[in-house]
Amino acid sequence: MSSDSGLRHSRESGNPSSANGTTDGQSAVTFYFNGNPVDAQASDTVASALYRTGRRVFSRSFKYHRPRGLLCVAGRCPNCLMNVDGTPNVRACTQPVQDGMQVTHQNAKPSLETDFLAVAERFSWAMPVGFYYKTFTHPWMWHIAEPFIRRAAGLGKIDRAPDPAADHPYEHVFLYTATAVVGGGPHGMRAALDAAAQGGGVVLIDDQPELGGHLRYSSSDTEASRTSPGSNRGSNGEESENLDDLVQRIHETSSITVFTSATCFGLYEGSLLGIMHRSPESPVAQRLTQLRTERIVVATGAHEVPLLFENNDIPGVMLSSGVMRLIGLHGVRPGERAVVVGNGEPAASTAKELENAGITVAGIVPPAQVVKAMGRKHVSGLQTREQRFACDLVVMCGDWVPDAGLVAQAGGSVEWDAERAVFATGNLPDGVSAVGAVTGESLPPAVGLALSTDSNPKKVIVCPCEDVTLHDLRTAVDEGFDHIETLKRYTTTTMGPCQGKMCQQAAIDICARQTGRTLQETGRTTSRPPTSPVPLGALAGQHLHPTKRTPMHAKHDEIGCVWMDMGEWKRPLYYGTPDSKKESVEQEYWAVRQRVGVIDLSTLGKLDVRGRDATKLLDKVYTNRFSDLRVGRARYGVICDEAGIILDDGTVSRISEDHYFITTTTGNIEFVQEWLEWWLAGSGWCVHITNVTGGMGAVNVAGPKARATLAKLTKRDLGNKRFGYMRCRQADVAGVPSLMLRIGFVGETGWELHFPSEYGEHVWDAIMDAGSEFDIRPFGVETQRVLRLEKKHVIVSVDTDATSNPIEADMAWVAKLDKEDFIGKAAISRAQNRAPREKLVGFVMDEDVLPPDGAVIIADDQPAGRVTSVRHSPVNEKVIGLAWVAAELAEAGQAIAMNADGRRVTARIVEEPFYDPAQKRLRQ
Amino acid sequence: MIQLFRKERMWRTHELKRSYDVVIIGAGVHGLATAYYLGKDHGITNVAVLEKRYLGSGNSGRNTAIIRANYRTPEGVPFFARSLGLYEDLSRELEWNLLFNQCGHLTLAHTDSSVDGLRVRAETNQIMGVDSRVIYPEEIQKLVPALDMSDRPRLPVMAALYHPPGGIIRHDAVVWGYARACDRMGVEIHPHTEATAIGINGSTAYDYSDAPQGIDHPDGTITSVETTAGSIATGTVVNCAAGWATAVSRMAGVSLPIVTQPLQACVSEPLKPFLDKVIVSANLHVYISQTDRGDCVMGAEVDPLQSYSQLGTLPTLEQMATYTLELFPQLHNVNVLRQWAGICDMTPDFSPIIGGVEGLEGYHLDVGWGTYGFKAGPVAGKYLAELIATGETPTLLEPFRLSRFREEALVGEKAAAAVSH
Repeated sequence: MSSDSGLRHSRESGNPSSANGTTDGQSAVTFYFNGNPVDAQASDTVASALYRTGRRVFSRSFKYHRPRGLLCVAGRCPNCLMNVDGTPNVRACTQPVQDGMQVTHQNAKPSLETDFLAVAERFSWAMPVGFYYKTFTHPWMWHIAEPFIRRAAGLGKIDRAPDPAADHPYEHVFLYTATAVVGGGPHGMRAALDAAAQGGGVVLIDDQPELGGHLRYSSSDTEASRTSPGSNRGSNGEESENLDDLVQRIHETSSITVFTSATCFGLYEGSLLGIMHRSPESPVAQRLTQLRTERIVVATGAHEVPLLFENNDIPGVMLSSGVMRLIGLHGVRPGERAVVVGNGEPAASTAKELENAGITVAGIVPPAQVVKAMGRKHVSGLQTREQRFACDLVVMCGDWVPDAGLVAQAGGSVEWDAERAVFATGNLPDGVSAVGAVTGESLPPAVGLALSTDSNPKKVIVCPCEDVTLHDLRTAVDEGFDHIETLKRYTTTTMGPCQGKMCQQAAIDICARQTGRTLQETGRTTSRPPTSPVPLGALAGQHLHPTKRTPMHAKHDEIGCVWMDMGEWKRPLYYGTPDSKKESVEQEYWAVRQRVGVIDLSTLGKLDVRGRDATKLLDKVYTNRFSDLRVGRARYGVICDEAGIILDDGTVSRISEDHYFITTTTGNIEFVQEWLEWWLAGSGWCVHITNVTGGMGAVNVAGPKARATLAKLTKRDLGNKRFGYMRCRQADVAGVPSLMLRIGFVGETGWELHFPSEYGEHVWDAIMDAGSEFDIRPFGVETQRVLRLEKKHVIVSVDTDATSNPIEADMAWVAKLDKEDFIGKAAISRAQNRAPREKLVGFVMDEDVLPPDGAVIIADDQPAGRVTSVRHSPVNEKVIGLAWVAAELAEAGQAIAMNADGRRVTARIVEEPFYDPAQKRLRQ
Repeated sequence: MIQLFRKERMWRTHELKRSYDVVIIGAGVHGLATAYYLGKDHGITNVAVLEKRYLGSGNSGRNTAIIRANYRTPEGVPFFARSLGLYEDLSRELEWNLLFNQCGHLTLAHTDSSVDGLRVRAETNQIMGVDSRVIYPEEIQKLVPALDMSDRPRLPVMAALYHPPGGIIRHDAVVWGYARACDRMGVEIHPHTEATAIGINGSTAYDYSDAPQGIDHPDGTITSVETTAGSIATGTVVNCAAGWATAVSRMAGVSLPIVTQPLQACVSEPLKPFLDKVIVSANLHVYISQTDRGDCVMGAEVDPLQSYSQLGTLPTLEQMATYTLELFPQLHNVNVLRQWAGICDMTPDFSPIIGGVEGLEGYHLDVGWGTYGFKAGPVAGKYLAELIATGETPTLLEPFRLSRFREEALVGEKAAAAVSH
């Protein structure tokens, strides 16, 4: 193959590309292709450097493994997908070279030149469209065939095993601008300057490394411009404006921000643009910008698509724009002897540019004359109706398709313009305008399908991604897939990596001709984001998954605990080591039951609710009544939805007449806040709800010696008379202003303390210190679960689920049905008046066996309930638990059965709590 | 094999007749399956299936094509298990390969309460004859070497519900296969024909706008369906219009306890096979599978707000990417090619509504399919056809009657249906 050493660069003076140094770089970079070093110029892409070394086959096609060479040289087609430094499916034609880069080919074994799987094409006669649906209809056949098909499919390779240590530097940026201009060609640049002149910030986005659009590789003289859409044709002064001047004016305008190598892949609701920047700066690999804007100018231009003739996909058959890019941007001569396929001016000017680049033009052939391209791994000639040309390059002057995807995503219309024979922007949504080729203006006359409908040549590739041929599409339409959307899904045309950029226009044309409908009637498939492929890593951004730590986190670490995740929070499960669970929990348990224990409760949701109507709101949202709750008292409360389903629970403490302090479960704080605000909205009530979860630390000090421990730290009288059960008081504890709640989730005398989180470690230390004479122990979530289970205290969303109501959960007392109204009242009233379907009950195992949480209750060999919590109870020396059981089983003393240790085991239902049923210890 | 080279139309086009025995609104998998079993099991073929757009243009072509039976309730498990059974034999029955790949389905749990939930499902499944069991990290890693089982993720994987018969299918092929079989029996499929009104007692003038909420239809009998292609006289109408079920039902004056929310998904470029199981994480709100073509299909949980929008959004795309990379960090440099949305009819208990409506003779519902409709196309079609043909409600459908909401006899599948596709 030729090298370009003798290439005379076509445009010396005033050529923007040479002025920008894009073609005159020296051999400065060495990268590796399949392990072999390749010398490249700094301005090269992987594809241009490989092409210069003589490489012509860049990939193998998806289905038939046909050899494929460069086609668009613009990152739009699937023909140069390679693996670059481990990243699969990289468009080699737009990937800048870097020193030491490792590039490998994809989807060919053993090499691109010799690919064993190319044998697939020999059987293409046996694989007509719909092949998979029509064969292997017997399951056993499919079971045999499927693994083979699966193995042959796919393109790029990724590592099978994850590398947990790998760090991928992606980042997200959120910006606002008054005007965003998508497309940095001449029209986009002028639109940016106009917008800047009118005031407000402008962001100009272009996917190429430099502004200029087609002017970067195509001279702007009148003749040549006709091959390049969107350029200016007239002869008035402004339009002959030089690219350098435009770029300079853009850079001199301070209100314009330019994003180059940045792809705007989506225009979402609310004028939100998704923009992907490739390698913005080291060490960021990719940056995703979410740009909110008021006005959007779409200047995305148009792209050229292949012509249809037999073997139109073999290497050496290229789009004219691709050829011009190779010459103009990379100084690579694509061939020695070319045939130009095209009509009129565009073909003539393309031929002239080729000759300027030193390429012999063997002929210019109208598309309708072409029969087929000759050659296997590279084009060797072109057969026309009249003659055969020998050549090593076939240049297709194809139709230009406006890049109108963003407009369609924004809700604008993309309509068939019969006069220009293009699908171009039609009605635009508010705030969106379009300029340049995307509107269909100044595009060269369309060729359309040069083939007549009666000819039916083989191997006319319409969809290069999926190897879908003209014949396939026609057959599919005849089979009834005559809607463009079903045609797409049946043949997979437009579903490949090029997202339909190369094939959609032709598919519509073929569908229209085959059905006798117009192109407008045929329509396009829905344009969906992203308009260009976007990596998952860039979409995900940094690995940011917050961990919430309580104010006493470091203290727990000091003591040594096993952590558990509770939502975003970390909580000590118990204190000890991973293999000390049983002993640790038991020791913690006895500390609470016999002496004193302390647990970090900072993760509880905490709301401060104030205002003269706070009581009304709480009476409405909670099933309980708070209007009769006296100041200085606390009450357990339950929230249900309209269907009477339990949503959350917690305590409500009345600090003053119109000031409440509410706790919620750890995971539900955001929900409860929203729920309260939802019911407040529109009520006209004066209530202020503040989430104080993060600002407040909390502990529960519980056990027979809890009072003695805390008495050392506060002047507040903790005696039963002055500080009885379910009372709340504000007090200084260890010098820290705190809210003390006398409640007993674990079933012992105890106080819940809430205090500013800054003092968390201080309060913790003070309590541990004060309790040391009683051998105080910190206890974790697991111990708390055992303690509360003995009291039959329910944990919402552990012991209840999305169908549990208070009646069936054995908590009828929380629903004050004599209240005027509350959320869920009607449903709970009905539930009370009908026979329950299932009930939450306590049970004791008949033998010392521990079924898993989640064990299914079995009656008559059918599921009849489930165990929600089950633990060994140290005080009872029995295994106890809570379970939902069918109502007919829910009698005290009734035997229930479940599986544990691989066998059927039994338990008895008990009505009373398993510990201190008379609540004496709580109230001591 | 012969059919491979025979070019024959999958389904024919027809002029709309003036009357049919049964009119089905919606030519997705549910509508077509109902028509198919009406003809096949009961010999009722004077049936029209109406479709507003093209065949399968609704959720049948937008779902992530996951088939499974590992539900939680004693009502849901046998229902979805029957559907799985029908799917297993469907390629042969329709002589059309649905590319059903029973590769196995894993629901991951990242918290201990999720693990408990999986245990309930596993045991309920086993008791009811569905193959599923809880497995732990070592076995998970063996089954899915590509999954990140390290402690790098914020919530590491603790256990999984492994359901070997679950898998993925080519969803469009199911629609086409049923459509072809319907056509061969003489059932008429009418794409681009929108139902605009439902006649009751000879009138379409029923004004529901002032009707109270709840069951507000006039007592009577279905007499006609008005369409954009003309009026049809019929005594039986079936509402299979997923996403628009409430709008269609309003035509009959029947309001439904359904809200509609979008559900989004996206697909990557084709990759060489690296994942041959369906992976679902309810804790991370994401599910992912790799098709036989090599694409990775990823889906999200339903959007938090009610909407009929079928547009993808950027925040949800970011979320799908984020959670996918929590499970498979090596996919970071894999490109997303497309994102899309379907709209889901959500019921309060995450179970469907199938059957007739008291007092309204001839009106049948097959709605409320939330995020789990595609899995149930065959079973819903087969037993709804039986109900229509015999007038008797089959036992499998009994729990899913509309009146369960009045009776407060919900079938709570949220734990097994939400984000578990």
